[in-house]
Amino acid sequence: MNIGVFVCHCGSNIAGTVDTVAVAKAALAYPEVVFATDTMYACSEPGQAGIIEAVQKYELDGVVVASCTPRMHEATFRRTVERAGLNRYMFEMANIREHVSWIGKDKDANTNKAAELVHIAVEKLRRNTELTAGEFTINKRVMVIGGGVAGIQAALDCADGGLEVVLVEREPSIGGKMSKLDKTFPTVDCSSCILGPRMVDIAQNPNITLYTLSEVESVDGFVGNFDVKVRRKAAYVDWTLCTGCGECAAKCPSKKTPDRFNEFIGKTTAINIPFPQAIPKKASINAAACLMLTKGKCGACVKACPAGAIQFKQEDEIVTEQVGAVIVATGYDLFDFTQYGEYGGGRYPDVITSMQYERLLSASGPTEGHIKRPSDGKEPKDIVFIQCVGSRDKSIGRPYCSGFCCMYTAKQTILTKDHLPESQSYVFYMDIRSPGKGYDEFIRRAMEEYGARYIRGRVSAIQPKNGRYLIKGVNTLMGDQVEIEADLVVLAVGAEAAKGAPQLAEKLRISYDTYGFYMEGHPKLKPVETNTAGIYLAGSCQGPKDIPSSVAQGGAAASKVLGLFSKDKLASDPQVSSVSLQRCIGCAKCQSVCPFGAIEMTQFRGMTKASVIATVCQGCGNCTSACPQGAIQLSHFTDNQILAEVHALCPY
Amino acid sequence: MGSQLEDLKTAIRQALPDLDVVIAWAAGPDGLAHTPLFITSESDVDLVQWDPRCSQNLAGYLPGLRGKKVGIVAKGCDARSITELLQEKLIDREQLTVFGLHCQGALDPEKIAAMADCGRYVRSAEINGGELKIVSSKGACAISLENGLLAKCFRCTGADAQPCDQFIGEHGAPPVLKDAPATTLDRLEAMSMEERFQFWEEQMGQCIRCYACRSACPLCVCQDHCAAQSREPHWVDQTDHPREKLMFQAMHALHTAGRCTECGECERACPVGLPIMTMKQALNRQIKALFDYEAGLDSEKTPPLFQFRENEEHIKERKW
Repeated sequence: MNIGVFVCHCGSNIAGTVDTVAVAKAALAYPEVVFATDTMYACSEPGQAGIIEAVQKYELDGVVVASCTPRMHEATFRRTVERAGLNRYMFEMANIREHVSWIGKDKDANTNKAAELVHIAVEKLRRNTELTAGEFTINKRVMVIGGGVAGIQAALDCADGGLEVVLVEREPSIGGKMSKLDKTFPTVDCSSCILGPRMVDIAQNPNITLYTLSEVESVDGFVGNFDVKVRRKAAYVDWTLCTGCGECAAKCPSKKTPDRFNEFIGKTTAINIPFPQAIPKKASINAAACLMLTKGKCGACVKACPAGAIQFKQEDEIVTEQVGAVIVATGYDLFDFTQYGEYGGGRYPDVITSMQYERLLSASGPTEGHIKRPSDGKEPKDIVFIQCVGSRDKSIGRPYCSGFCCMYTAKQTILTKDHLPESQSYVFYMDIRSPGKGYDEFIRRAMEEYGARYIRGRVSAIQPKNGRYLIKGVNTLMGDQVEIEADLVVLAVGAEAAKGAPQLAEKLRISYDTYGFYMEGHPKLKPVETNTAGIYLAGSCQGPKDIPSSVAQGGAAASKVLGLFSKDKLASDPQVSSVSLQRCIGCAKCQSVCPFGAIEMTQFRGMTKASVIATVCQGCGNCTSACPQGAIQLSHFTDNQILAEVHALCPY
Repeated sequence: MGSQLEDLKTAIRQALPDLDVVIAWAAGPDGLAHTPLFITSESDVDLVQWDPRCSQNLAGYLPGLRGKKVGIVAKGCDARSITELLQEKLIDREQLTVFGLHCQGALDPEKIAAMADCGRYVRSAEINGGELKIVSSKGACAISLENGLLAKCFRCTGADAQPCDQFIGEHGAPPVLKDAPATTLDRLEAMSMEERFQFWEEQMGQCIRCYACRSACPLCVCQDHCAAQSREPHWVDQTDHPREKLMFQAMHALHTAGRCTECGECERACPVGLPIMTMKQALNRQIKALFDYEAGLDSEKTPPLFQFRENEEHIKERKW
């Protein structure tokens, strides 16, 4: 075997702390290495041309590139060696940037380590075999999980692209957080007026199947061929019959049911349609509040329903959908501010969240758009807004900026002035973050045209005082204490990962960060991809986002799916496990540890043997660790290849 | 005990027509330990023995007899191996008939031979009351049974065989023993890393790589396909060096992690007396701490290393 080694400078990224010339020279001493050189940028066009030239000139059978992480450029160099006429798996990468030059300053030690990593790669390459990808057909349907604005955009764009879409939403209606908002910044246009038509489009698009009041139960399969089980929760109403007339809600005697859609400001009925623009416009019963379902007597809605749609015996239903790709758009949830003692910990009725304030502002909300204090229904005069509640606070494990609170607080001060011209808004803030188009101008307008008084500082306490509230804080620009009496306090609660986000991530086999937000494939270059093929992200499930960014991501994710589905077949990864029939004793330990269900037990001449379903195998290697006698081996990561690497590093 | 033996023989005689083979114990060549007996005809039943000299765990023969209808006589600890084999689906419950016994402790022949200073070849040995009376070339002596018990008896997790199809005799608690001898693991844990390494280097220097430990292990079911003797994959080479021997023992320990019931067959079989079960005990401690699991006690459970879970109850990777 003729091996060529290319040691990349990566400009000064590697060459700054690694003697790349010395590493190339050391490489020449390793077995079967016939050519070694250093190169300025191996990934650049001349760098790749140099590799191809060397393969031809020195009749190389395999190539080692010592440069950055394989996650960055392994695919690049595999294409390079393929262009040079070699099999793409006759290539190994030694990571001497992230693993060497970026983490150590001692040039001698770095050079030494880089040479050892090259040695490992050479020993591995010597045992590589040519692998060829197979092909498999794909199912060109897509599932969108989450019917907020990002999911709606993704579903509509996919459907417009000709794909069949299954949209799954946990709540009874799509619309997400945006459907609860009164107006949107920076144009102050009506949220439901711009979202509503999109929601109607979802309902009317023949390519879209909508499952609301539904959750993803399990996900099996792989890119192109996912089997997703969806739990359609009982609505206790037959939606094929329900016309959305609302007679049932009018007659329901259980009128003190907490109103989820209105953020628990005000009450609703046990059977209801969450809001007038709901899609689908169907009634559903809150089982915990329904007299019939809890106490076994009532049935007022049955009598009221002209369509005979009420079904108290309805049960959850599991449907299986086969799709080729999944777009996750599960959004975010709001931070629970009650853990902050200084804001009253939830004890004061007139200390409310910004989302509750949106419902007070909304014409379809519990107060029909009149701003009234929850405690006594009076119009407030002085309103204090406190920003960064649950954002940028390390002490509660939320060090990140939620991004949109500065903007919606400014919007809320403007709307407050529009609703109550005599009112005065005060905003306690840490910094103003308004980097979007027209955003900073919007903040200025709130301050200058609408007279919101911005105070840079934190609030230390909220105390009740004569039916009002005394807000004690600090003005850090003036360097003194401030005390403001107010009728209403609005907390700009930050965003946190949606409840159940990590559990859904486990089902989808995608990763998530410390806070539960899903990890994108690359923070810059793969913002809507995940590291699991066929699963894409849109909107705030990946990190807090405002509406324009969520819509943009929904469209981006849809375009990725359309790109994926532009081919009829996908190449299967040949880095999968396979079983040596002679060595397998049929103990099935591999089957029990396989997270993908890729191993089945078969009969071979009367003996039980394991067998790998190559298209299902994801190449994780669990089975190879579990197999005591080494009968199951993962191609490109065989025991012997790994042992050769260990022996190269730990000679004796 | 005499009637228990007769009851056992009666039970085996009754079951034998429906079974291909029954595995029990018969008198051994040296009187200090009984040896396995494979009963295929009724005349064999007369040879069956049952007393504290039935030290060997017979469960190791079961995977090799898969496909046959097998009866097996088991002590409480032997049944743990049977449970583990059933959990791993290496034997079939419906093909198996377990004759369960209540055990009052089994003798360690090497320990007795050392105590009696008589070597393994004695002229006669018989159990009388609480003593083993031995006659050898060195004369006669009596060893208290309690002093001659296997180390594992001091950590008995249940004297009654479970699973069991026919229980012979009375159910009962494990014998109450005091003064458990210090184990090699206890001694090792008091040592520094360097001392431990030196200890194993010395011990492994004596290993003759006969693989008796592996062949005796009831859970080493790969046998002829053992990774230690394979070139593809080539985990261990043939160099006569403590490094390779330790590598083999480490593999054996890792392959039995969370499965080993500490039956002690590996040490019983070792011709040079190496304390190789210590490695398995050390791993079992880790398994207990990480997964709250002990092998062979509950046939409903899956051994922790043979399942894939997103989250382990006792390993706090994430806080949610």
